Amino acid sequence: MADYQQSLQAKLIRFGIYAVLVLMALWYLAPLYVMLSTSFKTLDEIRAGNLLSLPGTFSLDAWSAAWSTACTGVECGGMKSYFANSLKMMIPAVLISTLVGAFNGYILSMWRFKGSDMFFMALLIGTFLPFQVVILPMAQVLGWLQLENSTGRLVLVHVIYGLQFTTLFFRNYYVTVPGELVKAARIDGAGFFRIFFKILLPISVPTIMVCLIWQTTQIWNDYLFGVVFSSGEGQPMTVALNNLVNTSTGVKQYNVDMAAAIIAALPTLLVYMVGGKYFVRGLTAGAVKG
Amino acid sequence: MGALSIRNVKKSFGNTHILKGIDLEIEKGQFLILVGPSGCGKSTLLNMIAGLDDITSGEIAIGDRVVNKLSPKDRDIAMVFQSYALYPNMTVRKNIAFGLDIRKVPKPEQEEIIARVAKTLQIEHLLDRKPMQLSGGQRQRVAMGRALARNPTLFLFDEPLSNLDAKLRVEMRSEIKLLHQRLGTTIVYVTHDQIEAMTLGDRIAVMKDGEVRQFGSPQQIYDAPADLYVAGFIGSPSMNFIPVQLREEDGHAVVELDNGRAVQKVRLSPISDSQRAFVGKQVVLGIRPEQLTDPESAHSEHGNLQTLQATVAITEPTGPDTLVTVTFNGIKTVARCHPRAAGAPGQQVELTLDPTKALLFDPTSEKRLA
Repeated sequence: MADYQQSLQAKLIRFGIYAVLVLMALWYLAPLYVMLSTSFKTLDEIRAGNLLSLPGTFSLDAWSAAWSTACTGVECGGMKSYFANSLKMMIPAVLISTLVGAFNGYILSMWRFKGSDMFFMALLIGTFLPFQVVILPMAQVLGWLQLENSTGRLVLVHVIYGLQFTTLFFRNYYVTVPGELVKAARIDGAGFFRIFFKILLPISVPTIMVCLIWQTTQIWNDYLFGVVFSSGEGQPMTVALNNLVNTSTGVKQYNVDMAAAIIAALPTLLVYMVGGKYFVRGLTAGAVKG
Repeated sequence: MGALSIRNVKKSFGNTHILKGIDLEIEKGQFLILVGPSGCGKSTLLNMIAGLDDITSGEIAIGDRVVNKLSPKDRDIAMVFQSYALYPNMTVRKNIAFGLDIRKVPKPEQEEIIARVAKTLQIEHLLDRKPMQLSGGQRQRVAMGRALARNPTLFLFDEPLSNLDAKLRVEMRSEIKLLHQRLGTTIVYVTHDQIEAMTLGDRIAVMKDGEVRQFGSPQQIYDAPADLYVAGFIGSPSMNFIPVQLREEDGHAVVELDNGRAVQKVRLSPISDSQRAFVGKQVVLGIRPEQLTDPESAHSEHGNLQTLQATVAITEPTGPDTLVTVTFNGIKTVARCHPRAAGAPGQQVELTLDPTKALLFDPTSEKRLA
């Protein structure tokens, strides 16, 4: 009897927990649902209606408009060229910052020099600096460098701003790698670069994934640097999306806005789906002894 | 000309002196053990021989070449590490070939070397596995294989057996010894385990606080330790140290042992000059447990065994013998007895002491009075 009561009570508690979890999940998914369903509706249907209803007629017009004809300010070429801008900025920035971060981490953990801990501390402070603090000095430096190209400027800015994070990730991973590995390689005759490329980099896949995901998300989603350091046709996706949504002439095309916003979010979603399991694995690498 | 000469080698970081002037020399084919507690500088010394740490002052020569300024790869050495340090991303075959590749050994020759090494260490069936898929003992073999492949003039081992369980450690120990006998290579081996030191070494350097306390053959170090530290470090269970007052009778050193009921006179070997200087003073009597045993198990080349009475405090059977703890001069003293003669706690037992093996130490300088 007592057992029965207890198991009933346990079942009720379990049911309660799942109910709360399902509600929370629905709550968080609601905006995505609204965005998706709105993007497939026609303008008439949006005006008529219920925010939460499914689209009556399934229309892809808004998507093609967002991609190739929607107006961002005076331009009316859709998001496609800005999407390409963002890719051109993101790919080199992510790769360079990851590789250099790995290299920094390698030096700061395996080839410590006098003051290397101070250097690392200074770098750590960099991770706490908000974007806004960096803008003015960065603008000054870009002015000195006379870098005209918007994409080039953004790549440089994102590499520099991202380095402290990638260095931190790799350094924290490499301190868990036994130093004897490097000693053994040195006795085997391997030099500084060979040890890095042949031994340490191949065992850093989880950390590389963390950096790729982190940097992709940061750089793709960045708005502030994009709006400050780029102009006109060189602007990244995020800035263009803002321009599209804030265009004040004509009718407000919610379905196009939604489609454009989803297009803007797709790459980061994709990266999480592909690399998400590595992300968790990489973040916890070294935390628990395997 | 020795295979390895270490001449007045020092290592300091600022005012911290890790090594305070080490002098060691071994011949080709010898097995040198650096043994000591953690922090004694033995691993630092090994790293300096390998070229992984800089030498503050002094000279290290491998063969007839001073290697102070040479990088590790040019010293013609190979090293086996405590954590094995196998490259996790490479198969066993690639691990062994890595160093050969860098030295631009032609591929067919590499294959030959790998086959030979794999056969020697019986790891042929493991060649295509990754280190993750190997057990501790197998990793140990691969690490040795990687060292053997290079065929260096000097092998360095940094506590290679510490990560293995007790049974495997004993197995690998005798395998390393066998390997050394068969290949006749010169080896420097760092350990904190005095049993490894005794069983493996041709020459043992007992280190403490950055100094070599004694350098000699295992038997020398066991029978004639230079000081109290070495005497206590080598041997298990360790040597008994009993404070006594030294007297001289008929040219023999004589001490008294109080078992709590009676004071018994013990006549030791003929007194030496250095011992004579301590007559009438306090000294430390050092006796190993096996030299204090029951009359039945006792034997001596000289026959003049000394008999002592004592009260048993604890008995600890180990199987072949039983360790019997008694008290002399207020100090707990361990005797190694035959299980039949061990007695029980509270009982009186008769023990014999081999006076030729008893040692005397100066309590202030801790040096042995030879």
